[in-house]
Amino acid sequence: MGATSPIRKVGVLGSGVMGAGIAAQVANAGIPVILLDIVKEGGTSRSALAIEALERLQSVKPAAFMSAARSRLVTPGNLEDDLGRLADCDWIIEAVLERVDVKQKVYRAVDSVRKAGAIVSSNTSTIPLATLLEGLPESFAADFLITHFFNPPRYMRLLELVAGPATRPEATAAIRDFCDIRLGKSVVVCRDTPAFIANRIGTYWIEAAVREAFAGGLTVEETDAIAGKPFGFPKTGVFGLLDLVGIDLGPHVAKSLLATLPANDRYRAVHAESVFISRMIESGLVGRKGKGGFYRLDGSGGRKVKQAIDLVTGEYREIRESQLASSRQGGSNGARGFSKGQAMRAVLESPDRGGRFAWKFLSQTLLYALEVAPQIAVDLSSIDEAMRAGFSWKWGPFELLDELGPAWFAAGLAAEGLPVPALLTAVRAGTFYRVEGGRLQQFSLDGSGGYVEVARRPGALLLADVKRAGPPVSKNGSAALWDLGDGVLCLEFTSKMNALDDAILRMVRKAISLVEGESFKALVIANDGENFSVGANIGLVLFAANVALWPVIEASLYEGQQAFKALKYAPFPVVGAPSGMALGGGCEILLHCDAVQAHAETYMGLVEVGVGLVPGWGGCKELATRWATNRERPGGAMPGVAKSFETISTARVSASADEARELLFLRSTDDITMNRDRLLADAKTKALALVAAGYTPPAEVAISLPGASAKAALDMAVAGFRASGAATPHDVVVAARLATVLTGGETDITESLSEEDLLTLERESFLALVRTPATLARIERMLDTGKALRN
Amino acid sequence: MLDYKAPLRDIRFVYYELFDSASLTRLPGFEEASQELVMDVLGEMARFCDGVLRPLNAPGDQEGCHFDAGVVRTPVGFPAAYKQFREGGWTGVVARPEYGGQGLPHIMSVLLTEMMCSSNLSFAMITALTNGAYSALDHHATPELKRKFVPKLVDGTWAATMCLTEPQAGTDLGLVRMKAVATDEIDDGGRAWKLTGSKIFISGGEHDLTENIVHLVLARLPDAPPGIKGISLFVIPKLREAGGKLIPNGVTCGAIEHKMGIKASPTCVINFDGALGYLVGEPHKGMKGMFTFMNGARLHVGVQGLALAEAASQAAVKFARERLQGRSLSGKKSTGGDADPILVHPDVRRMLLTMRAFSEGARALTAWTALEIDHAESDPDKARAEEGDDFASLLTPVVKAFQTDLGFEMTNLAVQVFGGYGFCVDYGVEQLVRDCRITQIYEGTNGVQALDLVGRKLPAHTGRYLRRFFHPVQEFLEAEAANTELAEFVGPVAKAFERLQRATGWITQESLKNPDEAGAASTDYLHLFGYVSLGFLWARMAKVALSALSPEGSRGKGKEELAFYTAKVATARFYMQRLLPRSGSHFAALMAGGSSLMNFPDESF
Repeated sequence: MGATSPIRKVGVLGSGVMGAGIAAQVANAGIPVILLDIVKEGGTSRSALAIEALERLQSVKPAAFMSAARSRLVTPGNLEDDLGRLADCDWIIEAVLERVDVKQKVYRAVDSVRKAGAIVSSNTSTIPLATLLEGLPESFAADFLITHFFNPPRYMRLLELVAGPATRPEATAAIRDFCDIRLGKSVVVCRDTPAFIANRIGTYWIEAAVREAFAGGLTVEETDAIAGKPFGFPKTGVFGLLDLVGIDLGPHVAKSLLATLPANDRYRAVHAESVFISRMIESGLVGRKGKGGFYRLDGSGGRKVKQAIDLVTGEYREIRESQLASSRQGGSNGARGFSKGQAMRAVLESPDRGGRFAWKFLSQTLLYALEVAPQIAVDLSSIDEAMRAGFSWKWGPFELLDELGPAWFAAGLAAEGLPVPALLTAVRAGTFYRVEGGRLQQFSLDGSGGYVEVARRPGALLLADVKRAGPPVSKNGSAALWDLGDGVLCLEFTSKMNALDDAILRMVRKAISLVEGESFKALVIANDGENFSVGANIGLVLFAANVALWPVIEASLYEGQQAFKALKYAPFPVVGAPSGMALGGGCEILLHCDAVQAHAETYMGLVEVGVGLVPGWGGCKELATRWATNRERPGGAMPGVAKSFETISTARVSASADEARELLFLRSTDDITMNRDRLLADAKTKALALVAAGYTPPAEVAISLPGASAKAALDMAVAGFRASGAATPHDVVVAARLATVLTGGETDITESLSEEDLLTLERESFLALVRTPATLARIERMLDTGKALRN
Repeated sequence: MLDYKAPLRDIRFVYYELFDSASLTRLPGFEEASQELVMDVLGEMARFCDGVLRPLNAPGDQEGCHFDAGVVRTPVGFPAAYKQFREGGWTGVVARPEYGGQGLPHIMSVLLTEMMCSSNLSFAMITALTNGAYSALDHHATPELKRKFVPKLVDGTWAATMCLTEPQAGTDLGLVRMKAVATDEIDDGGRAWKLTGSKIFISGGEHDLTENIVHLVLARLPDAPPGIKGISLFVIPKLREAGGKLIPNGVTCGAIEHKMGIKASPTCVINFDGALGYLVGEPHKGMKGMFTFMNGARLHVGVQGLALAEAASQAAVKFARERLQGRSLSGKKSTGGDADPILVHPDVRRMLLTMRAFSEGARALTAWTALEIDHAESDPDKARAEEGDDFASLLTPVVKAFQTDLGFEMTNLAVQVFGGYGFCVDYGVEQLVRDCRITQIYEGTNGVQALDLVGRKLPAHTGRYLRRFFHPVQEFLEAEAANTELAEFVGPVAKAFERLQRATGWITQESLKNPDEAGAASTDYLHLFGYVSLGFLWARMAKVALSALSPEGSRGKGKEELAFYTAKVATARFYMQRLLPRSGSHFAALMAGGSSLMNFPDESF
């Protein structure tokens, strides 16, 4: 879509957390934004509110902007003096106070300045569209819809979209495309009902869990151990989640729901204000933003102790891991040989109070979802997607029901004397989803009892769909190859955390020989995981090092280097398609790809120094070469060397794909996809474009590096960091080895080095470091705790 | 009576020449442990063993213990011997001086223990348990409890036991049923608990050597979670103090077992009937304290295997020199008489050298492990202490199981050397076989040791424990790779070591896919580990001995000394050529995998 998009400039009204966050995400898409808020009298500027919001955006964690440059696309202003600036906006998003009168006042003002056909949308979280439009002209209604973002707008994938009967279909289509393609959102079309989909079910879920936890006499920790990970809910659990979003938010949402929900809604019957929680809010115990919540960190004893509140006495006490047998059933993690559903049922059927609690809160939540589904959504997959993308559930309610077995659940409801919803009766012994002819189908909400396809939007392609359609071309314990059609082969990592190991290297070799054998034209490296790859399996390295199997380590270094090099020089294009973390070896394989199509949320880095090593699979070689041959760098060899050294020695990880460009992890020829679901299709398109353009593999380059003199300079800089305390003793050892590699070892600027020369240097440095106890201690700490050891 | 002389020369070799134990005096608490003091103490123990313990060994075995209406009597002479033992200050050798102990290092204690076990295993058992209880209380008990019990254990007025086993809970202690209920009573030991239940197989559970016996007992609190995570540790005295007097505390001996060996050590059924005791450590975390006890106890059992092998070896050598039968295959070797001593026969020599090479190698391995425990417990350098602890964790199951499996083999070989006489009670070697048999079973069967090694110790911290063994070996092999004089020792060890490396990697990988593979490989792996450990130590001992025999090193050494080093080198050679190859068969067996075990139909057994 790109330049042809009808939306080239956006206005955001209201610079609170949501408005400001939305403005930042629009800027991340490269679109200029006008951010307006009310005039703050007596401020340094009449636009102080928006200006301060922009400042907050630049420092907020996690970052709202994908790179510093993006923030310059946001222009702050105020709703009195700068209203005229909205005149050339194609889309104006209202994100002001959640009050109909306030919102309507803003709409009237906007309507007076907006150009014809400019689209206006509201970010309301609970108010139906029909209510918002009461009394407004038809011409406004034709251009109006609801676009409900989730917090934080950059990271939460859900966008709920509600169009009214008067809304122009072209307006809806334009916003849907823009949010999907440019903002990267998972757009779920909702019916115009209070709180739409995610908050309707999510609020019910949280309240049910909290209510049943108090009723069942569970502790905070026991509750979160059950109403969390076992069912694929966020692993914080509900109390942890409330601490995160703010405990004081609950009563507001409840009030709004009670004001707008239908009279016979189940929520009314079960909602009850908790005196305990009201008292917490009164005392400022509203969660992480306040003085504490259901959990807090207590530093009064000198060291920080994590505490939890006692749900009976209201006193804090040291955190106590749940001892309930039900919370140790494993739930969705399933014990070996058990399906996820069996493991979840084991929790629900546990005879202890944890098991009773689990059944109560989960059965109520699923019952509610079953009852309201036809009112709030056009299909079941919309509801599941909303809960996944908006509340970070691993499975939506209907996917959960399928895991548990709808018939089992219906029997459980009946046994309790609870009503069995029509939808559950209708699906009978079947499931809500099924695979028919290799395609995913869902149970229809139209009452026909039939199934309809789970449709993907044009340009979206999920590896999961490819997998459903047929068997892999090849597969081993850590990787698989899939046929994406049109002659494109896909290499998928399947190991734990997508860590790279020997089996993946073998599959790289196999992929090359398959494509070379002319069964395919191009290779894409992609997966559906949360993270592209966290790097090489350092557990294997540590184990081999512990038993002194040095030759095995050297062989695996060599094989990785050669396999990646073979990718680079293969006679066909190789396109990497990362999303999430691409660290260490995961970054190195991308550095060897002919092109990269990166998801915007890609975090790339050569982080080996964190575990006391240097990149040993060609990462040093590739980054050093990129900086040495970078045409934009100022004269001399040293600045490039200094850049690559700085990037690797500080284990710098890009905060976005945008930033990866600045670090040369990505080249100007590499592209970025905003929507995760479009990544694979875009990568495939890019690969085919390279084929069509008559792909020829790159020529091997020889580079010149400055050698010992430059190493001395880098060593001196590191000595300075050591003296100031910024570097640890082992940092100095690791940095010295890294400097040797990046400056080219025993060379000088008049000589030229081949790739093999640099690879040899990488191996030598790696092997020297892996023999040091300090490096082994770092690897061990990383594996044991996930944190770096600063030794 | 078996001939046995404490191997003081070899002990000195291990302590001061192979390992730099003198450096232990740098650790806090060990400043006084000079070489003179150490050798004096060892010499004193050698005399005690020779004069007091050894003469009681065979009579004690023949008489056994007596049980009469709850009263247990040890064999004639044992109470008097214990009195001497106590008065000699031997009960508190490793205990810290603040409790009245002597604070000597563990490496020394294992060497003392070896002599005692070689002389009289039954007697040594009783005193060793008290040491184990001391260390569990020292690590886990409150200051009040320590004050109440530890000094009496250290000065030997009281003895101690460990009460784990119940009829339904042997290897699987998660099945323990013994009950503990809190009382309102609080005295100088803290809150009293009421304990009820029955324990079996309690070594030294009741006897007439001390005025009181302190039991360390595993039991369950009323709210205990099921399984091993619901076990708590208690200390319960047989007699409790009340008004300055010792009064009965509901602890009685129900019976003693009639056993194959260690007959002078009473193995008791102990009943607790509302006995009052104290909680040691945290509720439900009793296994932690028990593991401290058991690790020490397991090392000690490994020493027993070595000790009995040493006694067997010495007896067999003496017999083989004296017994005249047949002529040498290569022509007669002695002029007088009708026959040569059986020492000339290759197969007899094979047996004698096997016993010797094992005993001396195992002594070195035991000492190394104990030395690392000393670092673990006393080294102010945290990293060094951790290394020591890692090493001891890794090697304890190897020392326990390998040294008792082979100890049993060695005692059997001695019977074989003795021929028909060996089968007769009067010659004493059959007692060694019977006494040794229990060492493969108690303190965790050798099968459990092997599982501990592959299941817990290998994967711990992604193999960190392994580093403490594999790296020193690898460094030695690399450093000596070009040493031609040592090549005949380094070469075979390098080969066996590579097998161990490969087996370690294989087990780790396979057990991820199928845990049964680790179990199927475990015993062969443990033995492979044992042979490689001894191989490494034999190569190092050969190096030390060769340097003592060099023109420079041999200067001023007498004939006897030179013979000692020459024998060392020769024994090392024998080990490399005739024992280390066993590593190959263990390697081949374990790498074959577990399918032949697991695919055999259950109903066909």
